[in-house]
Amino acid sequence: MSELFLQQIINGLSIGSVYALMAVGYSLVYSIMNFSNFAHGGVIMIGAYIGYFSLTFLKVPFFIAFVLSAFGSGILAVVMEKIVYRPLRKRNAPFLYFIISAMGASIFLENVVIASPIGPTFRSYPTVFSSEPIMLGSVALGRIDLLMFVISAISLMVLVYIIEKTKIGLSIRATSYSIKGSTLMGVNVDKVIFIIFVLGGLLAGLAGMLFGMRYTVYPQIGNITTKSFIAAVFGGLGSLPGAVIGSVLLGLIETMVSGYLSSQYRDLIAFALLILVLVVKPTGLMGKTTEDKA
Amino acid sequence: MLKINNLSVFYGGIHALKGVSLNVEQGQIVSIIGSNGAGKSTLINSISGIVKYKEGEIFYKGEKLSKQAHKIVKSGICQVPEGRIIFANLTVMENLRMGSFLRSDTNGIDKDLNRIFDLFPILKEREKQVAGTLSGGEQQMLAMGRGLMSNPDLILLDEPSLGLAPLLINTIFDIIIEINNMGKTILLVEQNAFKALSIADYAYVLEQGIITMEGNANELIKNEKIKEAYLGKKNVDFISV
Ligand SMILES: Nc1ncnc2c1ncn2[C@@H]1O[C@H](COP(=O)(O)OP(=O)(O)O)[C@@H](O)[C@H]1O
Ligand SMILES: [Mg+2]
Repeated sequence: MSELFLQQIINGLSIGSVYALMAVGYSLVYSIMNFSNFAHGGVIMIGAYIGYFSLTFLKVPFFIAFVLSAFGSGILAVVMEKIVYRPLRKRNAPFLYFIISAMGASIFLENVVIASPIGPTFRSYPTVFSSEPIMLGSVALGRIDLLMFVISAISLMVLVYIIEKTKIGLSIRATSYSIKGSTLMGVNVDKVIFIIFVLGGLLAGLAGMLFGMRYTVYPQIGNITTKSFIAAVFGGLGSLPGAVIGSVLLGLIETMVSGYLSSQYRDLIAFALLILVLVVKPTGLMGKTTEDKA
Repeated sequence: MLKINNLSVFYGGIHALKGVSLNVEQGQIVSIIGSNGAGKSTLINSISGIVKYKEGEIFYKGEKLSKQAHKIVKSGICQVPEGRIIFANLTVMENLRMGSFLRSDTNGIDKDLNRIFDLFPILKEREKQVAGTLSGGEQQMLAMGRGLMSNPDLILLDEPSLGLAPLLINTIFDIIIEINNMGKTILLVEQNAFKALSIADYAYVLEQGIITMEGNANELIKNEKIKEAYLGKKNVDFISV
């Protein structure tokens, strides 16, 4: 195997794992509420800024900045659910209303940042790690790339544990199949929705900070979630394993295209694949079928 | 045990229940018979807190019943819904675990689990199977077992015989009697009037949102009007299909 190939695999895994952190947030919300929460990008953006200001302004240790990003985004996600979606849910609004409100919320957050003293400028995170890669033979492992992969992988494993092994996770899976069914079992669906927004928000905060560190922070950074949305569709909206597999695949495809063709084709091919998946298999690799949703 | 006074439910402009009153005594099997669209599920869902009612009152064990679904389950009422709504994406065991979602008495849960496996041995065999792959009859048993896992005092059964073969319908009704013998009070809603009346203590007839008749089940089953409307030739054919 060529070095370039190995190198691109490593890059693809690291970017793909961060896509996965974001994509599971989409999937969790979709699995229960049946709409794509496009406001997720705004939550990620705020997480990236919280991390940035924690390091530059509060000057807290690196680890604390991660915690603050995660919690800040988690709280924001829950507040948005309460303000934007809950009123819609209470009057059984059509799904289109949810999607439009989500887009509105995302644009609102972006513009709040632009209008605030923070402004539209691009900001670079302070250097936390040396930019010198760790060499594995002749393959270079970027320190931030490694961090992205490790943090994402650990967070996703914790998430999978919660979903698969805990009572809360069981109630999330049951509710994703039937809200009526789980309500009849005594599940408080408001509480389940609160929990999925907390989980999605925490991971969004981590993803925002990782992205900010890797690239820069700017008000439109949330647009990167378009990619994780593509990944979630790849894997099958509403399926957590699907979201993770779709994300890693997308990361790998992107880095391969960048490495062997040109990075100019990267997004073109990503979106072309999205359309292809939607045409050929709209439920994605592991998505729930429509009759699953009674 | 359960007392409903003058319950009215609207779906937008549709007046689905028009002042329904009924009474269920502890330990009884009470049946509500009525054809498709009569408002049977609406009534059951109002008790369960899934459908909101503006007029009327529901009392349970002498107190006003909460309108929040999870509090209603907590107070000892469970519904086995029409169409079963088992969690097809979960295993049989996980479905049963969902039934005991609000409980934390591990010993009691294990005891009930064993009782349910005694009642439905097939569920024990299929413990690890994904529930969506069960047959219709097995799914009905799972739905009933799942309901029992909340250790309810009152069970609301919404058309348990729907879509099942006649032989299985007999099995399900035998099990309903057995559950009643375990000390559970049962409110049963059915289109299969003959079966529902034959196991009930007391029964109501619901037509277009109104209770049109009530009485001891063994008397209603002999009533000419009921024979004509619900146990007539047409319906006998339907039942034996
Ligand atoms: N969610 C709903 N929205 C509007 N109308 C409904 C809804 N559910 C039931 N209905 C109407 O209310 C009436 C009673 O329905 P239902 O309680 O399901 O009857 P049954 O269970 O006896 O077949 C029917 O006319 C039905 O069309
Ligand atoms: Mg019905």
